[in-house]
Amino acid sequence: MDLAALAATVRRITVELTDTERVVGSGVVWATDRVVTNAHVVARPHVMVRRADGGRLDGRVVARDRHADLALLHVPGLGLSAAAIGPADELHVGSLIVAVGHPFGVRGALTTGIVHAIGSLGRGGRPWIQGDLRLAPGNSGGPLADARGRVVGINAMIVGGLALAIPASEVTRFVRAAG
Amino acid sequence: MDRLLALSNELAAAVEHAGRAVFAVHARPRLPSTGVHWRSGFVVTANHTVHADEGLTLTRPDGQSVAATLVGRDPGRDLAVLRVEAPDVPVAELGDSAAIHVGHVVLALGAGPRASWGVVSAIGAAGGRSTDGDVFSLDLTLYAGFSGGPLVDAQGHVVGINTSGMSRQMQLAIPGSVVSQSLDELARHGRIAHGYLGVGTQPVRVPESMRQQLGLDQELALIVVDVQAGSPAADRLLIGDVVLSLDGQAITDPLELRRMLRAERIGRRIAARVVRGGQAREVELTVGERPPRSR
Repeated sequence: MDLAALAATVRRITVELTDTERVVGSGVVWATDRVVTNAHVVARPHVMVRRADGGRLDGRVVARDRHADLALLHVPGLGLSAAAIGPADELHVGSLIVAVGHPFGVRGALTTGIVHAIGSLGRGGRPWIQGDLRLAPGNSGGPLADARGRVVGINAMIVGGLALAIPASEVTRFVRAAG
Repeated sequence: MDRLLALSNELAAAVEHAGRAVFAVHARPRLPSTGVHWRSGFVVTANHTVHADEGLTLTRPDGQSVAATLVGRDPGRDLAVLRVEAPDVPVAELGDSAAIHVGHVVLALGAGPRASWGVVSAIGAAGGRSTDGDVFSLDLTLYAGFSGGPLVDAQGHVVGINTSGMSRQMQLAIPGSVVSQSLDELARHGRIAHGYLGVGTQPVRVPESMRQQLGLDQELALIVVDVQAGSPAADRLLIGDVVLSLDGQAITDPLELRRMLRAERIGRRIAARVVRGGQAREVELTVGERPPRSR
């Protein structure tokens, strides 16, 4: 797989979330008609979901955890295959990672980088996948993927130039709990 | 195997390999910096991160704390060498820093290990900056605490020491060969000797009439703007003297003067050709050693 093929793979499972006109963030197709994003991206119970092919659908927030900064959307008729999830034990400091999102409204933008560190920022904090990767507002809720295009995290924050993503294992737990 | 996956695995392996010789350096308040086990018992770090001369501690790659003592500082290259007792911690596998070219993919490591990647964007002394020798300019992010850490090639070999302390705008690394030289000298003498005349100079244009009169090619020379008391230049050079050459070599830039005053010239005589009061003359000087500065 080259980078273009990798970008295409990750783009297929990435959606754009808009609030009337404005892009508010990105989302990842986690299961049939189910999209995961950040809680801070979806402030209202409904959100417009735009597929990579341009199709627009209505999404409804079915679960939202502000503390975990995760939200689960139900998007009837989304018709996209779910993302493959990357195993955490295959991800190391230095591993190649890519993000797809809509920074500043630029659709399907790809950024590449490596894993900077895995773990909390300070003692006792929550675990992050810390990426040496350039993100911007609009990447929030979008996928962080490994060199095979498998999702390893949900991009959530930028701290001190570092990209912080919620590990996929945490997302899986959240989705399971949400039912 | 898939090319991207192979690259990803190589980069992760390079971090793992180089990270075995990486220490955290606790030598300033709050933010630890990074150090590299360069030779057995010697850890190299960035001088600007070593605030104290005593009471230094390091964190080994396995998380254990260990005391360190300061061997010496090389402020001109922003390097400091620490002595540590850690025979079971591997020594960094050094790569050939002369084989690094612009465009090579490199990694910067912080203690942990933490990593960032990018490319070498330029090699050589940056314009106008006075450093002792060449540096690598890097197109990568040196995160907080990365100064003093290793610059690592794609094979996991250490090819330099990173520092954000030498330039505000640029991320730089001191090439490995320069680090080794500096370490050798600090381990032997505890300091880096520099030749010294004791003059402050500025470039000055040589007037056309003077160039014709003296048959000079050079358009620039150095004008003496300061002479330090008790220095080799005291009573030999005067403020306003225009220095054309040293030992027959034309000098047009204060940096060139500094480069000419290598340590091996200390104690040797050097002939300066100067213009004073419109007349060219030869002045003999004995190169001294630059007095130490702290950091």
